[in-house]
Amino acid sequence: MFLFIIKRLVLLVPVFFVVSLVVFLIIHLVPGNPIDNLMRAGSSSAQRVQIAAKYGLDRSLAEQYFVWMSRLMTGDLGTSIIQGRPVGALIARNLPYSLQLGGAALLFSALTGITAGVLAASFHGTRLDDGISGLILLGSTVPSFWLGLLLILVFAVWLGWVPISGARGWTSLILPVIATGVGGIALVARVTRIAMIETARQDFVMLLHAKGLSPLVIQLRHVLRHALVPVVTILALRIGWILGGTVTIEYVFARPGLGSLLIRGLNQRDYPLVQACLLMLAMAVILGTLIGDIVQAAMDPRQREERP
Amino acid sequence: MNRREFLASTSVVTLGLGLVLTSGLPARAADSEAVIVLSSSEAGAPNQDPIRATLLSLASNLIYDRLVEQDDDQSYHPHLAESWETGADGMSWTFKLRQGVTFHDSEPFNAAAVAWWIGKYKGSPNEYMTAAIDRVEIVDDYTVRFVMKRPEPNLIFNLAQQFMGIPSPKSYEASGDSYGVTEAIGTGPYKLESFVVGQETVLVANEDYAWGTDLSENRAAPHIKRLTLREIPDSSTAFLELKTGGVGMLSSVPDEFLPQLQKEKQVGFRNLPGIGVTYLNFNSQSGAFADATMRQATALAIDQSAVLKSVYSGAGREAHQFLISSLAESKVDPQFEIHHDLDKAKKLLDQTGWINGSDGVRTKDNKRLRIKLWTRSETEFRRTAEIVQAQLKVLGMETEIVTFDNTTLRDQLRKGEHELVVSHYDWNNADILDWFYSAKNIPFPNSAMWNDAKSEELHDIAMLQSKNWDERVANFKKYQEYLLSQYAFAPLHEPAQNTAYNKDLLEVPERIRGPQFGQPTIVDMKTVQ
Amino acid sequence: MRAVRAMPMLKAIASVKGSIAGLYLLFLIGGALFAPWLSPYPYDQQDLTIMNQPPSLTHLMGTDEFGRDVLSRMITGARTSLSVSVTAIGVSVLSGLILGAACGYFGGAFDRVVMIGVDLTWSFPEILIALMLVAIIGPGLQGVVLAIAIAYLAQFTRLTRTQVMVLKGETFVEATVNLGAGHTHILFAHLLPNALAPVLVAAMLATGDAIILEATLGFFGLGAQPPTPSWGAMMSSGTAQLFIAPWVILLPGLAVALTVIFLNLFGDAIITALDIRTKLREA
Repeated sequence: MFLFIIKRLVLLVPVFFVVSLVVFLIIHLVPGNPIDNLMRAGSSSAQRVQIAAKYGLDRSLAEQYFVWMSRLMTGDLGTSIIQGRPVGALIARNLPYSLQLGGAALLFSALTGITAGVLAASFHGTRLDDGISGLILLGSTVPSFWLGLLLILVFAVWLGWVPISGARGWTSLILPVIATGVGGIALVARVTRIAMIETARQDFVMLLHAKGLSPLVIQLRHVLRHALVPVVTILALRIGWILGGTVTIEYVFARPGLGSLLIRGLNQRDYPLVQACLLMLAMAVILGTLIGDIVQAAMDPRQREERP
Repeated sequence: MNRREFLASTSVVTLGLGLVLTSGLPARAADSEAVIVLSSSEAGAPNQDPIRATLLSLASNLIYDRLVEQDDDQSYHPHLAESWETGADGMSWTFKLRQGVTFHDSEPFNAAAVAWWIGKYKGSPNEYMTAAIDRVEIVDDYTVRFVMKRPEPNLIFNLAQQFMGIPSPKSYEASGDSYGVTEAIGTGPYKLESFVVGQETVLVANEDYAWGTDLSENRAAPHIKRLTLREIPDSSTAFLELKTGGVGMLSSVPDEFLPQLQKEKQVGFRNLPGIGVTYLNFNSQSGAFADATMRQATALAIDQSAVLKSVYSGAGREAHQFLISSLAESKVDPQFEIHHDLDKAKKLLDQTGWINGSDGVRTKDNKRLRIKLWTRSETEFRRTAEIVQAQLKVLGMETEIVTFDNTTLRDQLRKGEHELVVSHYDWNNADILDWFYSAKNIPFPNSAMWNDAKSEELHDIAMLQSKNWDERVANFKKYQEYLLSQYAFAPLHEPAQNTAYNKDLLEVPERIRGPQFGQPTIVDMKTVQ
Repeated sequence: MRAVRAMPMLKAIASVKGSIAGLYLLFLIGGALFAPWLSPYPYDQQDLTIMNQPPSLTHLMGTDEFGRDVLSRMITGARTSLSVSVTAIGVSVLSGLILGAACGYFGGAFDRVVMIGVDLTWSFPEILIALMLVAIIGPGLQGVVLAIAIAYLAQFTRLTRTQVMVLKGETFVEATVNLGAGHTHILFAHLLPNALAPVLVAAMLATGDAIILEATLGFFGLGAQPPTPSWGAMMSSGTAQLFIAPWVILLPGLAVALTVIFLNLFGDAIITALDIRTKLREA
């Protein structure tokens, strides 16, 4: 097991360099540059040159990449060209908000999804199963920004129960979490339901029934436990989504976060900021996949041999 | 660790993290506080350093004072300078400074501070504001004289700009590069408490303040003790926050919300003249609009009233020339103003040989009159483009709308492949004509690629040879009249600045003073008890 | 085997859910195809005297901020939204099939490198990919089509790869190899056809997600250039409208939700009919 983890971790090193190169090239391929966003009516072209030199934008792409990488190795993410602050500090400021929203949304969709999935599976083939599946389907087919707007209209404007926007206190988290999480419920519920139904057909469950255990205990203790393996894997894959997948909702609810930081950075072509954020997102997803694999391997030893 | 423990521990971590983070967020303080939503044009202002910044928000208007203040009628009023006079040849300016003014760090404001401050602009992005000043002489502790390189009547305008706020020399030098980010020290009515780029700026009242201007009733410390300036990118969200009292004021209301807000009983309004103009920018060097007649026909085919009605819900005013209407230079001879005249536009095109085809699109030598119409992606500009498209269709001109984000649009304009662009500027000075139409600024910002000998001559006279303000006004008028006669652009609209506030939360003075909503108004504002 | 494949379609349509969903989809596709003839008004005809009017007999779905007929824009919008989503998923499926089949068949280092690249596309939020692509390619539908295609590439590649890997071990393939067939022949004649069914069903379900994604990108102002409507773009000009003329933004959102639901129901019906649920889940 230990060797398996080490092997996977070593493999991350080349991946990291490939990802960093891709990220760097993509953002530099986008037309436009950060300098224009620093200039305003009346500035001269000499100042342009000066700003370009200050941020090393006058050098070749290869050189710029090299400088970025060597700084990165020392733990320096660079300084935002537009905002004039260390990128690390900017991310540190915004990350908690994203974790809060993404984490809560993931928890919300996991708990609701698993509950719905268990219910649907336990009452497999009945009206309740159909009803739950239908509701879940409905939730997953609505664009999240649209749902966000509707939620604002109903709960913040008409009923006045929660704040409309911003990130003050936990009440302002409710609507964004629902708007973000609803889409995920369907996925979790579907996987849980199918996994439960299939696990229930397995021999060991038949055995448990034969031993005379109560169906409820079997369902929750044994079937759910086995059925959770694919659910956990799917959740692990969504770690990157926690960090950056909430862009739309952050925008609608005027919440701070990594997504809005990135969108602003991208619009202003703030290279150091966008590079660092994208690299971080990509690595988070890759690590998430790795964790998913490790969890799977821990639960199912066969995985270790099958997967390199 | 088995999988149940794993699951349980992750959920505990997530929950715990959420709780810790939530409790760390700023809570609302109790008395006399207000939340103001910043205008989207100030969104993302990265720092509060007037000297090095290229974008400042309302916050720096409140943290710093300027030597002089400008009113909405473009008149000038003393602030940190009690009085000033200009030498007859325009080669020197003498300022008497107000005594007893201190910075937030208790340092005194005096002639030495002014001399240091003007010197700091050298090499900064805002250097051009002080470029005409040769050196600053300290006459006594509270008198300074600016010795000029050339006469510059516009200096008074520059001094009233937000970029000419005066920071504390001591704090400025001590903080180095981080000045304006972690701290910002001025003499203004509010002190900086905290600042998160793109989110919010929290200000607290400067209780020592006693040097307000004659633009405000209250010349001492502001009534509202704690002020939070928020950025809300989605305007419908901002609108709702105001309606429900989540925020007290929107410093700038998107026009599309005006009709809706006007229905709300608890919402009050204040209007200011606009400080910007939306117009159609022609590429005068290549393509169809190299031909002055084509430019004229296009300009005449536009009905500005449709833009006013549909895009701006009737707020603001139609633009028939290039400058904002509160500037004296905008009062050009009416014969040069550009007004809707579809019949004339059609006739002009008929004469040039562009004949209406069977499908309503004009053709000439088997070429269809098809134009690329570029626009920025913000809603108001996209909508304006759609109106323009419909109107040019009536003229027999087929247009294809292409939307770009602002950064990409600037990059694209440099390439010179554009034909017709929905453009907008915010600037309350006639020298915007120099920025957009002087040959030295080709290809950018002069993306009209405007290069014309007569125009250059009039430009030089206006920019460099005006000895005093009146002469400058007359010269700029002539310069603009010539540009209008050549249809170098097609003016569309002058958006109003609308400010809305929640009457249940705030009292706002009847008249907003200054060219924009800011310090003179805010120090007079009160919270409703 | 070929003869059997047409059957599930019929079986799917025969079920209650499947038939309703199929009918809706048929109706929608018909509407999109014949949009110019079905629309009561030209979709870009402005009339500023009737701005933001609520639904009435003359304008069944009301008018928008330029006095344009919302129903006509919905019909033409369906055309844009559907063609964007279908094209994007088509591109995605095709690339996914080729990449996945190659990875699954050849395996080894080639497989690993390609899969790292493919998984990378999963790492970034779709909105960001779209924003960057549109900036690079230029405004319009191409950028959005490509962004959606990239967003689903990983899914189809992984699905095909797993199918091919499983099939590769089966006896009939080994027999073909022994008979001396080339790589291309085995891949295209034997492996891909057998891997196709689950991929196509997954594609149908993904088309629903693509419609949602198109709407989201349209909300951010990416995609169809005005005055061309798409369901997403209609909602972007409608954000402020939610309070002035809510129908302008509510109706496209409903259309998206309905379409996606019916696509899912139809997909489900086919899955049941084909009995390939296990295959789909293996990926």
